Amino acid sequence: MMVIEVRDLAKRFGSATAVDGLSFAVGAGAVTGFLGPNGAGKTTTLRALLGLVRPTSGQAVIWGKPYRELGQRRRRVGAVLEASGLHPGRTVTDHLRVRCAATGARRSRIDAVLADTGMGELADRRAGGLSLGERQRLGLAAALLGEPEVLILDEPANGLDPAGLLWLRGFLRRFGEEGHTVLVSSHILAEVAQVADQAVVIDRGRLISAEPVTDLIRAGRQAVVVRTPRADSLGAALTSEGATVRAIEPDRLEITGLDTKQVATLAAALGIPIYEITTSTGSLEEAFLRLTGAEGRPG
Amino acid sequence: MTAALHAEFLKLRTTRLVAAMTGLAVALTALIGVLEAVTAGTAKGMAIPSLATAGGLRDNLASTGFALLVAALLGVSIASGEFRLKTATDTYLDQPCRGRVLAAKAVAAAAAGAVLGTAAAAAATATALGFAASRGYPIALSDPAIARYTGGTVIASALLAAIGVGAGSLIRHQVGAIIAVVAWALVIELVVGATLTTVGRFLPYTAASMMAGDTNGGGMPQIPHGVTALPYPAAIAVLIAVAVAVGVTAASTTVHRDVT
Repeated sequence: MMVIEVRDLAKRFGSATAVDGLSFAVGAGAVTGFLGPNGAGKTTTLRALLGLVRPTSGQAVIWGKPYRELGQRRRRVGAVLEASGLHPGRTVTDHLRVRCAATGARRSRIDAVLADTGMGELADRRAGGLSLGERQRLGLAAALLGEPEVLILDEPANGLDPAGLLWLRGFLRRFGEEGHTVLVSSHILAEVAQVADQAVVIDRGRLISAEPVTDLIRAGRQAVVVRTPRADSLGAALTSEGATVRAIEPDRLEITGLDTKQVATLAAALGIPIYEITTSTGSLEEAFLRLTGAEGRPG
Repeated sequence: MTAALHAEFLKLRTTRLVAAMTGLAVALTALIGVLEAVTAGTAKGMAIPSLATAGGLRDNLASTGFALLVAALLGVSIASGEFRLKTATDTYLDQPCRGRVLAAKAVAAAAAGAVLGTAAAAAATATALGFAASRGYPIALSDPAIARYTGGTVIASALLAAIGVGAGSLIRHQVGAIIAVVAWALVIELVVGATLTTVGRFLPYTAASMMAGDTNGGGMPQIPHGVTALPYPAAIAVLIAVAVAVGVTAASTTVHRDVT
């Protein structure tokens, strides 16, 4: 069953097109990474999904309905779109009290979400004194007040330190394993690769790819890495066999176009010693750059 | 609607905005009240008549002109502050019916405006009666008259704060909204009132000031000659009508704009 569906969504701001006929779906119980370069249209898409931005055409729905028509919406859908959207003079607890009042969430949830997000010790601190990472955690705490089935997060890793990233990764993995649905946009692709089942890649408002993260990575470049004292000789021989060879270090080559067995057999036939041979699979970053063609584009 | 109202009241109780604006209103009222009282009856410049007279005491009681303006700006801050601080995103996620949010904000702002107006009226009354007593003057106004001007300040502050919410929703940019409201109160109403004296009494800030007993401006620029006070119920009706009109205009236009 599809929880989130974006159907031929388009959004223009004046003459600028932010989203251009975008369609994708997110199934129940999946953690989906929503990826794209800066300005790809991720935030606009998420805002359209949550009724904050009116689509020029098309629609974005949750359980088949526009967000505003969902019953008990804040208890079914949690969202964090803006870590900076906090009144600086309001304390952490008071911020959560306001959100409870607005959504009908139980006040008793406040202590639970503070503990879940590691914000317990900051309960009485004013939001103006929080770091960006702490504000992200507070946003997440507020989103969890209603014990939602679906979480929609826009760049939640922004501003988190390494410990915070580790915590976020663990949290998202746990939340997904409990059968919840997560749609998370991020430019920190390594984080997405570690927690997401699916990846939706967009660029310039259009869908580039929507597939399992493992398939996306597998479809990227696969290479054989060899360490040998006769790198020049081996490199020349491999090139003549049709491989593409790149010298990583004076004694280390990266070979694409031939597999491990072919490289080792050729080296043995030529009497070239090999000290180390490994395969190198592509990364999500490589797949992302290949799909979006953003390698040479300024960020 | 109940949840939205509860949330808006809680928002006001958990920040210092209302206290700060009330403090500003009281300080300005007290300052103007003392300056008026000290120079009362001296016929210098724009001095008010002696506090021994009904006119002088009424003018001194009505030193709440700036407080009324601060009440309107409180409403502006309550509405446009959501966009300045980017808290509108969560507010509209919690309650996607934006008209409902606007109505809840107007009600909460009116309550906060009433608190501000009560404090300002208390400061003005204490100043006027205190100075009159210290000079051994009899109180030249009846208790009902004093209560009428004091109550006028409270009611006018509440309704101006609600109008401010509409203005702050129409003009999301907070500084722009503040400039617009100040310009309206201090320039446009005076120009219109001076040009069309029969229309002046129906303008919201003028009607509000005159409910508070103001005839000389209460520290503000003078209300134009020839502009007479509306009957009390009519002035309240004018302020409610303006609050509804501005709110409905905002609800049908800017309130539904994209929140980006």
